[in-house]
Amino acid sequence: MAQYRTQIRIIADVLSTARDHNTEGTGVGVTTLLRKGNMSYGRMSKLLGELVGSGLLLELNGEKISKYMISQKGIQFLAAYYSFEDFAQSFGLRL
Amino acid sequence: MALIENLLQFIGVFVSFSIAYVAFRGVKQTESSSLLRLATAFVFLGFGFLVEGIVGLGQIVPSLPISTTAVVVGGLLLETTGYFFLAFSHAVDVVLSKRMGVALLVFPVISLTGTQLADILSILSFYFVLYGVVETIYSYARTRKPDTLLIALGLALIGVGTFFQWLSLLYLQVDVLLLLQIILKEMGLLILFTPVLRFAVGGVRVNGPV
Repeated sequence: MAQYRTQIRIIADVLSTARDHNTEGTGVGVTTLLRKGNMSYGRMSKLLGELVGSGLLLELNGEKISKYMISQKGIQFLAAYYSFEDFAQSFGLRL
Repeated sequence: MALIENLLQFIGVFVSFSIAYVAFRGVKQTESSSLLRLATAFVFLGFGFLVEGIVGLGQIVPSLPISTTAVVVGGLLLETTGYFFLAFSHAVDVVLSKRMGVALLVFPVISLTGTQLADILSILSFYFVLYGVVETIYSYARTRKPDTLLIALGLALIGVGTFFQWLSLLYLQVDVLLLLQIILKEMGLLILFTPVLRFAVGGVRVNGPV
């Protein structure tokens, strides 16, 4: 049975993609985030705006397209997320 | 024996508030509603054990006239509400949980004797914990996480404890039932403490899989 993702889980997925796929240090494009995040363009755009606004992602403006990189605050958020996810799972719960 | 019972109640207070503290930290950082329900459950449980412990102290120290039926029922009500939130931490429908929580809080308004109320609250606690055990085992079947199975075992011990608590209210003359229910519940709570210990020792994982 397929499980729906909570908002916090979607945020963690986007942040971890931005962290793991930034191999060249130039940021990650929207296409990669869309492919890994498994959501519509409109929804992703809105989410990216919110994550940049809250300082979890950094927007790197290129000539044609914007790329995204996880910030230090985003890394700290992910670390906290994994710890509490582990804690919640111990009780049989999902974050 | 009363002293041992009280000591165990206060261990329960410590364990419950520790779990609630970690869960509240999680709520603060992740805004997770599941963790909020978990924290709420253990705050109620902690206060429930505290009230029962204080009532017990009243029996040990005669100068403290606090051993009244109303306070005992109040302690049990807090404990049952805690088990309710623990069981329904798994429920997806939050609105339903809130409605049932309110229903549980207004329940004592119905005119029943203190003993009848204590009986009802104990058996309700048993069913809530039983539901929690079933849901946790179901969760284990999905995640195969050993910690989850351990928590299910802890909840099962608490469940048996609440059943003995109910029996101890029916058979007041059998003292061992009272001690047994506290020991079982405390053993269960100590098992529930494992994730808190892991959290405290392990700290924060920086590179986790998503």
